[in-house]
Order: sequence, then C-alpha cells, then structure tokens
Amino acid sequence: MDPGGASRRSSRSAETWRGHIIQQLKHRDRIQSAMFQDLIRFYTGLLEKTSMTKGLLSSSGRPPAEGCARSSLQQLKKTTGELAYKVVELQQQIKIKERVLQELQTRLQKEGGRLAEASEAKRALGDEVEQVRQKNKTLKAAYDALLQRQREAESKLREEKEKEERVLEDMMHQKKQAAARMNHRNERRSRARQATVQKQLQTAARSKVIVDSSSSAPTSRSTSPKPEDQDKSGGRGATRLFRSASASSPRFFSSIREMFEKRRGHSVRSLEEDLLFPVGICLSARVPVRPLQVLEAHEQGINAVRFSFGSDLLATGGTDRVIKLWDVRAGSLTHRATLDGSTEGITCVEFDHMGRRILAASHNKSALLWRLDDSVPKVTLTGHSRKVTAARFTCVPHQVVTGSTDRTVRLWDLNRAACVQQGEVASFCSDLVCSDSSIISGHFDCKIRVWDSRTVNCVQELPSQGRVTSLDLSSDRRQLLSCCRDDCLQLLDLRWTNDRMCFRADGFKCGGDSTKAVISPDGCYLAAGSTDGAVYIWNVSTGGLEARLPDQHSSSITAVSWSLSGEHFVSVDRSRRAVLWSDI
Amino acid sequence: MADDKDVLRDVWFGRIPTCFTLNPDEVTEREAEAYYLLLPRVSYLPVVTDKVKKHFLKVMRAEDVEEMWFEYEGTPLKWHYPIGVLFDLHASNTVLPWNITVHFKNFPDQDLLHCPSNSIVEAHFMSSIKEADALKHKSQVVNDMQKKDHKQLWMGLQNDKFDQFWAMNRKLMEYPTEDGGFRYIPFRIYQTLSDRPFIQKLFRPVSPDCNAHTLGDLLKEMYPDALTNDGEQKRYQVLIHGIEPLLETPLQWLSEHLSHPDNFLHICVVPVPTD
Repeated sequence: MDPGGASRRSSRSAETWRGHIIQQLKHRDRIQSAMFQDLIRFYTGLLEKTSMTKGLLSSSGRPPAEGCARSSLQQLKKTTGELAYKVVELQQQIKIKERVLQELQTRLQKEGGRLAEASEAKRALGDEVEQVRQKNKTLKAAYDALLQRQREAESKLREEKEKEERVLEDMMHQKKQAAARMNHRNERRSRARQATVQKQLQTAARSKVIVDSSSSAPTSRSTSPKPEDQDKSGGRGATRLFRSASASSPRFFSSIREMFEKRRGHSVRSLEEDLLFPVGICLSARVPVRPLQVLEAHEQGINAVRFSFGSDLLATGGTDRVIKLWDVRAGSLTHRATLDGSTEGITCVEFDHMGRRILAASHNKSALLWRLDDSVPKVTLTGHSRKVTAARFTCVPHQVVTGSTDRTVRLWDLNRAACVQQGEVASFCSDLVCSDSSIISGHFDCKIRVWDSRTVNCVQELPSQGRVTSLDLSSDRRQLLSCCRDDCLQLLDLRWTNDRMCFRADGFKCGGDSTKAVISPDGCYLAAGSTDGAVYIWNVSTGGLEARLPDQHSSSITAVSWSLSGEHFVSVDRSRRAVLWSDI
Repeated sequence: MADDKDVLRDVWFGRIPTCFTLNPDEVTEREAEAYYLLLPRVSYLPVVTDKVKKHFLKVMRAEDVEEMWFEYEGTPLKWHYPIGVLFDLHASNTVLPWNITVHFKNFPDQDLLHCPSNSIVEAHFMSSIKEADALKHKSQVVNDMQKKDHKQLWMGLQNDKFDQFWAMNRKLMEYPTEDGGFRYIPFRIYQTLSDRPFIQKLFRPVSPDCNAHTLGDLLKEMYPDALTNDGEQKRYQVLIHGIEPLLETPLQWLSEHLSHPDNFLHICVVPVPTD
C-alpha cells in the first residue's frame, strides 16, 4: 500500500482513536475527580478551621475545668506586669532621649558661639580690607600727583632745552656778527693799508731812493729793514690784492713773508736781531717822588704795565681785553694805539728787545703777539688749558715761553706758532722770567723753579717764603726778586742761592695773586704796590723802606714798572688808574 | 497539536478521590477520623501523603508511630508504583472514594520496600526515567541533560508543576525523524493475577516494513490473552491512566502522550467486572 494512503488512513483513524482517548479521559475525570473535588476542598477547609479553633480553644482554656476566672485573673496580672515593664522601659528611653537632647543643645550653643566669633573675625577682616583699600587709594593719588609733576618737569626740561638751543644760536649768531664785524674792520684796515701802501708805492715810485753799496754793513742795518719791510709789505699788499683771505690770519703773513725771503734769511735775521739787541744800561734809577700824571687808562682794572726797552713806550693791559700803548714824552702819557684781539683780559705784557712787538698773556688760555703798528695780533699761541699768567720772550729768537695755571710751562716757536716743548709742574705758575739759558718760574706752592731752556727740565727748585706772585730779574741777570703772598719780597742771588734777602714793610700787603714787584734798572731799589694804594720802595743795600708813595691810588696796585732810563715810574691799579711818577 | 497538549494536561492533572482510614488496630488516644484527599494519578504515595500522616499523628502517641504504610483490602500498596497504576490495578471499578487503610505498625518487609524519605522516591523516579531513555534513545538524551535538568524533572513532579516538568520532558519525547519513533518503547504491562509483577520487553514502535505498531500489536506480542478474539466476550480491560484506548492507537503516540512522568507506558490489564 502506498505510504500516502496509509498516512491518510492513519490520519483518519488517528482522529478516531485520538478522539476516543480524549473522550475517555474527559469521562474519567468527570467520574473520578470532578464530583469529589469540591467536596474534598470544602472538607479540607473545614478541617483546617476546626483544627484552628481547636488550637485556639486549647490555648485559651487550659485547663477548662479549673475556672475561667482564675485564668483570666492570671492573664490580667500578666498583662499588668507586662504593661508596668513597658512603662519602666519607656521611661528609661525618655531619660536617654532627654540626655541626648541636652547634649545636642550644648553643642548647638557652642556652635553658636563659634559662629559669633567667626562673624567677628570676618568683620575685623572686612575693616582691615577697607583700610588697605584706603591706603591703596592714597598711594595711588600720591603716585598720580608724582606722575603729574614728573610730566611737568619733563615739559619744563624740554622748554629749557629749547631755550638753551635758542641761546646757543643767539650766542653763535652774535659771535658770527662779532667775527663779521672784525672781518669788516680788518677789511677796512687792510683796504686802508692797501691805500697807504699804494700811496707809498706811488711816492716811492716817484721819489728816487739812493741805495749805496755800503748799506750792506751790519751796523747801519738799523735803517734798512724799514724799506725792506716796506717792500715786503708792499709785496704783501700786492699779493693781498689778489687774495681775499681772512686778514687776521697770522700764519698767512708769515707764509707770505717766507715766500719773499731768501733761504738763509732766517739765520741772517736772527743775527740781526741779536745784534740789534739794545743793551740798555741804566746808570742810576731815581726814586720817584711825585706823580706827574694820573689818568684813567682803561675801562676796567689794569693788570700789567711795562715800559719798552727804549723807554719811550708804555704798554698797559687789563681786564678790558686791550693793550694800550702810550708815548712817554715830556712827562706825560699820550695814548698812541690800542691793540685788541684778545677775547679776555690781559694778565701780562712784555715788549720784545727790539721794541717792535708786544707779547701778552691772556685769560683766554692763549698768548698773543702784536706788531706795534698792527692792532690785530699777528700770532696767537693757543694750547694751554687754563689762563696764561705770564708770557716772555726767551733769549732764543722767535721763542716764547708761557706759564699758566694749568700747571705747565710751554715753549713756543713763533714762526710756526706752535708749542715746541712743555714742562709739567706740580703747581700754578704765576710768573716767569727768562735769563740767558734758563727760565725761572714762580709757583703757588712757594717754590721757584729754574728750568733749562733747551730741554725744559726743571733744574733747580728754590724755596720761597710764601706763594710767589711775581718775579723780576735784575738787569745783570744775577738778582731775582720774588714777591710773595705773605707780604714779603725776597731777593735771591742766582749764583749763590743761599744768599737771600727779605724785605717787609708795615702796611705793605700783597694785593693779589699776581701783584707785580720790580727791581729798579740799576738794581738799587725794589718797588711794589700794596693794597692800600701806596707804592713802597725799598733800598736793596740797606734793606729798609726807602719811600712810600700814597694817596694816588684808591684801590690796590696791581703792577708797577720802572722805565729803563730810571726817570719814570708807572703804577697801575684795579680801578683803572695809571699814575706816572717821577722825581722831578 | 492542541489536542495532544490537552491530552498531556488531562493525563497530568488526573485525580483520584481517596479516603484514608486509620487501621482500627492502631492504638490511638482518640477516635481517628477519616481523611479525604484527592491523590494525583502520576505521583507516588510517599510524596503526597504528608498531610495524611500529620492528620493521623495528631491522635496517636509518638512512641507508637513507625513507618507509615498503606493497604487496600488487605493488599499492601507498593509506593514505587504510580498512584494511578495502583488504583487501576486494584480498585478501578469500585465505588469511589478509594478507601485506603493507613498503618503505622507491622510494616510488611516482604511485600514493601522501606521509604524513609522523599529522596528515595526521587532516586527511584530518576532511575525509571533513565531506564526509559535507555530504551528510547540509548540513554543519549538523558545523559546530555545536566543535573539541574534532572532536578527540574523531579521538582516538577513533586510540586505538581506541569510546565516545569514538560519543559524538560519534551526533550525525552523527541526522536530523529528518519527513525519514525523511539528505538524501543518503554512499557510495563501489569496483571492482577500473576506471579510476575509486570511484563517488560523490547518492542519497536515501527515495524520493519515501516508500519507503526499499535497497541493491539503490542498486546498480541506480549499478552495475547488480553485481546478479545472474534466471537468471544471481552474478558480483560486494558487500562492506561484509567481509560481504555482503542487497540489501533499507535504505540509511538501512546508512548509520547500517555506515558507517566517516569516515561514508562504503564498498562494495566484487569478482568472485566462480572456484575
């Protein structure tokens, strides 16, 4: 049989036997369990209930025969006992709880106290903070004020700087103007000179000059330099026509002169000058007795006065920056010329041996050289770092020695207008004199130093009484007079330096650091001016005061000078007065 | 199929109303009352009779109590048979409720096994399952199951939890489709009048020519006397779970759905009542 048919059949029959089985099971249940289910359920419920009630009854009534009252009494007693026990327990609990509560309250109080403290501290800190803030504010305000001031100061500084610049500009402008004026003046002078030269040339060209061959003799050379000079100056003038260089340049002059000179001209010239050295011998100096003339020589104080070696010229120099030349004639001083060109006051004046040139030391750290007929300085010697107190011609031609408060002594060459040598000293040099081969300088440290003029080395040091204010050599170059600040004059013999003489006088007081004292040309007298305006004259041989000339000066006398002839004596003072004395 | 599920439920929740009476010979303090109880067919006596014991212990003194045993009309009831089997075998056509006498003394050691605790019942139950699976699957399925699964089977039975039990038991009811059924059907045929306790032999569910064996085939094979020949009166009832399934019911289906929880098909053959 096919499996499909079998399965179909089996499925059909499966229905029957399955259904049969289901039916049978339902039937069985119905009969066997369904009928009894409810019954038995109720039965078990009842059983349980009865057992429960039985249990209750047994527990509550035991034994039931002995009376329920007693059992209930016992029960009540038990319950009261239990209740009392519970009461005691509860009271104990209450006590515990109260203790806990107390503890908590104390803790709360403590915490409250701490809180108060903390808030106090907080307030204190708050106050501190406030204070600090205040301080900060004040500091800041102060700082702001300072800042403001600083700014103002800065702006002021700027203004000052601008002003300074402006002032500087003005100054420079003025200097430029002064220079322009000077240039203008020089130009005028040069033009004038040119004109005169031209005129001279013309006259010279017209006039016939007889030059004889014997003029080559050296003794008559005294006159020849003049036309030579004139030629030179003419040449100079001619060249100057083509050159419009600055007229005040001394070097220009010297270079032009060199062009026209012969090569050997230098030594020849020096020989000339040596030979032309006028050996003036004074026979006797006369003590001045009375003033011949009193005049206001300068606009400001006069510092130096000097007679020329020819005794006919007087030069005075002072704080007003000019040197005035005076002719001494017939007992009176006549103003001859004014030499300017120094930018500051004159401290010392010297004529050269020829009487042609004037050397002056000035406060503007330079020494100036003029030719007598030229009011513009020919040579300016600059190099010192402080004021030049003394300038002298040395015995070597064309050499100048200067002493200055910059503690140096310098040797200059005039042709080159340059410092040849320099000697360092420990102290200010207040005055200088030159002898044949040596230079003698006086210093503030109370020493007189002797220098070798070639090497400018200090050869000897001579002590002095006090600060040396001036030196003077006698004509025979043997005696050295030093004027000291402690009001004494010292006369030294240069060969035997231990031989000293000291001169003092009542009322004689050395007026300043550069008061000049002189030896008379014959070496017999010493003269110096004092602060009281009187001239004191000592006698060398006696050592005592020879004469005293008061009342002419109203202020302290700064310098005196004796003419080489011994006739005249000039004293100048700080109040611009110059007095010419004589014994006539 | 839903019908099969209903069959399983009906089989599991089958109940027998029982009245337990204390043996009058027992020494009691008081009059012992009978105790009525609905016993589940699929369980075992020691598992479900705790309440009975408690009930009767209330009226007895402790020193008089020994191991409890039951008997019905003189026959001690073997506790290792399922309750349904015991009822079908001894009292299937009697008046309900089933009256069981409770004894606390004179335990019949020849007839009954001792059962001190439920764990003995559990051990017996599990061994039955393993034996059944050995026949069905060569013990493969039951050995693959874990210990907790075995426990679940027993707990399901003990606590009367159908779903818990069948969650595991269905594994034991599976078979590879190409086989058409189990290897051998686990069955036991009980007879009332016989020396042998039961008949248990190897029997395949499917014939060599791929026919499904039926219940009739089994009986013809194992106990042909139970079958009614044509023309004869019916002499025996073939009861499974208290019902008579048709003889053409497939044996495989029967084994799957009408087995007891211990996976055996317990068949009772009882004589037809004569009244």
